[in-house]
Amino acid sequence: MRSPSNSLRRARPLLGTIVDIRVDDAPRDASAAIDAAFAAMERVQRLMSAHDADSELSRINREAHLHAVEVDSWTWQVLEQALAIHRATDGLFDCAVGRELAGWGLLPEALFAARPSRVTPSLAQLELLDGDRVRTDAPLGLDLGGIAKGFAVDRAIDALRAHGIASAVVNAGGDLRVIGGRTEPIHVRDPRDPGVLRHLGDLAEGALATSASYFSAAQANVPGASALLDPRSRRALVAERSYSVIASSCLVADALTKVLAVCGDRQHPCFARHAAQAVVLEAMA
Amino acid sequence: MRHTQWIWLPVAAISTSVYAATYLTTEHAQQAIFPGAKLTPASLTLSGPQVGQIEKLSGVDVRNKELKAWKVAGGGWFIVDEVVGKHEFITFAVGLNADGSVKQIEIMDYRESYGYQVRDAEWRRQFVGKTAADPLKLNQDIRNISGATLSSRHITDGVKRVLATYAVALK
Repeated sequence: MRSPSNSLRRARPLLGTIVDIRVDDAPRDASAAIDAAFAAMERVQRLMSAHDADSELSRINREAHLHAVEVDSWTWQVLEQALAIHRATDGLFDCAVGRELAGWGLLPEALFAARPSRVTPSLAQLELLDGDRVRTDAPLGLDLGGIAKGFAVDRAIDALRAHGIASAVVNAGGDLRVIGGRTEPIHVRDPRDPGVLRHLGDLAEGALATSASYFSAAQANVPGASALLDPRSRRALVAERSYSVIASSCLVADALTKVLAVCGDRQHPCFARHAAQAVVLEAMA
Repeated sequence: MRHTQWIWLPVAAISTSVYAATYLTTEHAQQAIFPGAKLTPASLTLSGPQVGQIEKLSGVDVRNKELKAWKVAGGGWFIVDEVVGKHEFITFAVGLNADGSVKQIEIMDYRESYGYQVRDAEWRRQFVGKTAADPLKLNQDIRNISGATLSSRHITDGVKRVLATYAVALK
């Protein structure tokens, strides 16, 4: 399958990964559309990066237990949807895991200092107030890494559409979304050999996200750690498996891969409820 | 109305362990970051002391003393550099504003290779005759890779090095 003719493709480092945007049937101002799409994702990064002390997320983690913090409407949307998915999955999806990830060297320690707390932090402890404000009783150590990339991809698609683009693929380090109905082959890395790519299926419209531990396990400073963890046990999930979810929005696909990784159950009711499909890929032989 | 169209493959086809994507030539990267601007080549070879200063300032090794730089008329710089990871080789362009701050970063070329998988014969046998492509051959049709997030840390380090290089050798 050849690359479509007259397509424009760009890639930039963003959101801690490489973001690749391809516009098909590119009109003359396609690069302006792509710039706008990247700008939208940069905005998500500025607001929600757990690595940036100046992000709104870091401000929430520092201050929301001291006083209500007013946030950007995009931050609000992500928190609101994160909380909804947390409730819909009985806590299998939970963003209050920053402290553990920092302990494993995957997030900056300085921004996720351990605080004595009798209660295990949970997203359920986040209060959403009117006026786009949030507060908590105790610091939650929120990390939006499991949902913000998907949200960013969706906003990039919105920006492309606002510029009149009908056919495109936005791929943020594996969280991707296709618009326009042109069949796109999707390849997923083998969970044991990430250099081996397996053609999972074809996507003509919609989003797909994949979670696995092979890269973060290598980055962590502690053996047996990974960016994927079970919020109930707080234990890292290091399996030779890869978890993919197909959904109509990349935010939902992104968030639900974490749920799939934790429960390992493709038939969990949350997938049907979100009109999503789940795939678990085992390592080759 | 949003909807999803997903087609499962009956059998997961195996693909190669090499992947590459070319995005921009140097000239196109210049046009992408500094549209319509006049750029003058200003490439140079870094001296030993300069290399030491850059490494100290950035905390990143300098692997290449040949700096590919262009001065932008009216202020600013366009620099091409590359980062080599364990499995990735990435060429990228950094546009700097007149004040030395980053204007834009564009990836020009991305290559990843996990090398030939030296595994037992049983494991290798499953690749024989599976696809038209020899597992070692570059398959240009691969795109849309989904997987655990590959970190852009190498590029971030490369950009730090570029900023230090600007401070030491270009400013």
